[in-house]
Amino acid sequence: MGKAAKLPKHNRFCAIKAASWFFTSLAFVAVTAGLILLLVESIPVWRHSGLEFITGRNWFYRAREFGALPMIYGSLQVAVIAILIAAPIAVGAAIFGTEFLSGRLRIGLKIVIELLAGIPSVIYGLLGILLLRNWVYDSMESLDILSGDTLLTAGILLAVMILPTIMTLADDALQSVPRAQRMAARSLGLTATETAINISLRGAFPGLIAAVLLAMGRALGETIAVFLVVGRQDNQLPESLFSFQPLVESGQTLTSKLGGSETNIAYGEPLHWGAMLGLGILLMIMVTALTFAGLGLQNLARRKNET
Amino acid sequence: MPNFPLSVFRICTLTAILLSSSCSDNSNRRPGPDSGLPLKINGSTTVNPPVAEAAEILRSREGLQIQVDTQGGSSGGISTLGEGLVQLGMASRAIRAEDRAKFPDCDFREIRIGEDAVALIVSRDVWESGVTSISKSEMKGIYEGSITNWNQLGGEDRKIAFFNKEPGRGTWEVFANWAYGDHHKSPQVSFPEVGGNEETRNKVSTTRGAISQLSSSWADNESVFALGIETETDETVFPTGANIVSRAYPMSRPLHLLTNGDPVGSAKVMIDFILGEEGQQLVRKHGYLALADLEE
Repeated sequence: MGKAAKLPKHNRFCAIKAASWFFTSLAFVAVTAGLILLLVESIPVWRHSGLEFITGRNWFYRAREFGALPMIYGSLQVAVIAILIAAPIAVGAAIFGTEFLSGRLRIGLKIVIELLAGIPSVIYGLLGILLLRNWVYDSMESLDILSGDTLLTAGILLAVMILPTIMTLADDALQSVPRAQRMAARSLGLTATETAINISLRGAFPGLIAAVLLAMGRALGETIAVFLVVGRQDNQLPESLFSFQPLVESGQTLTSKLGGSETNIAYGEPLHWGAMLGLGILLMIMVTALTFAGLGLQNLARRKNET
Repeated sequence: MPNFPLSVFRICTLTAILLSSSCSDNSNRRPGPDSGLPLKINGSTTVNPPVAEAAEILRSREGLQIQVDTQGGSSGGISTLGEGLVQLGMASRAIRAEDRAKFPDCDFREIRIGEDAVALIVSRDVWESGVTSISKSEMKGIYEGSITNWNQLGGEDRKIAFFNKEPGRGTWEVFANWAYGDHHKSPQVSFPEVGGNEETRNKVSTTRGAISQLSSSWADNESVFALGIETETDETVFPTGANIVSRAYPMSRPLHLLTNGDPVGSAKVMIDFILGEEGQQLVRKHGYLALADLEE
């Protein structure tokens, strides 16, 4: 430490540059190695099931049936519920903050909401078990639901968890709309509300979509909180995507499957282990795709607002 | 950036060297009282309570560093020990040949610290509606989906909410061995699953019409109720201490600490403690049978 500080300025810069190169490469190597490991170790299941692994509706590991579709459905369904609940609230809060609050109050609001992001997810899971699942159970009783562990419960819980992600990113997107445009709109006689809708929201739109996509990536990857309230029931693929009933039944997501004890059984059996890692690849692809789409849109929005 | 590929190559090599050296460093070190490495224990949530309390005592009394975890239940304990991630495993079932086959490098040793049973537990509404015992064939009916309402078992008209203990858990294997002779022969089913004992008890107690498998010492008969098992001779046996000792209750099981070879260092300290007078009292305190109870 002390040695580095005494180096001449130029050398210090070089040292910092080398260090950042080193750590960046380390991250790159780690991710690549992880991906290669997942791919290589999951080869048995692709050989065994082929595309059936993605489209198959049944997961019975002792019968050597590995179909991930119900879990893909569960993951997407839970994430979509979370987005539907969280996005309006978070974007609304961001609009309120940027358009109607003074600078200091806006920061205050932002800090409070970002505090939500600092709570460990297992705490959310426990709150989910203690409060949310009982609430869902009691309030949905007329639908003849079996327990409080449902896709809906997991979705609501995730909504709270991704609220800060959407809020912060939406706030950034709205902030990046140039002040001059708002001033021009106001001086043309538009009200604050009209300005917010016609100028800020329109300008920030790609950025807002990006916020939602990035939050969805986060929702897909969340494990422990979902694990505790989703019910972890395999092979729950509904006949219709548009009925409400499946949402108040137990389900399984990619992450809740991977978080369970089945990985211990799978270890040491190449096919079963490959199937578990195959789920990991599916999850990685879904999250990566959403993240890239989100980042792409963010860049697009930034460039649009700069010109 | 003319020397970009070279620098990347150098960094990769350096990383590889760093990684490989750190790996080989760890493999030969065994934690003892003086090694400074914490003793790591992982496995069954059933074995956990007395072991965790023993760890607490040894921490304050001997200054040992001990981490107790319950990742993945009994199978988790076996596989983390097999991979050398922990020095002691906890399992609420016996080690099988297939476990040994999965980890040929690990010399599994079982140290029995007590005895427990698996109870079939129901929520208060089921118990109060009059269902207080169940036969093996009725339980299999629930497991296979042919019995779906409590009125088929003499209770009130309510759907059965069966939470299956996740396969890989000691509790599940003891249950499936009882119901089907061999857990490999049990049918593959899709029910909502529960993991640890706390989760099982919480979910059953807060769900009407619920039933699940749970360690009998966790069945407090306040929030969840242990059903009696109806035997073929029309007797009803509850999972009481006496019935577990006499083997009248069919789903008893040993509680094990597992080691790789002879225990050394702080692992040995822990085992000696839990097998001693004080440790066995902890086993009893958490509702299990101590070794001395079994000999009577």
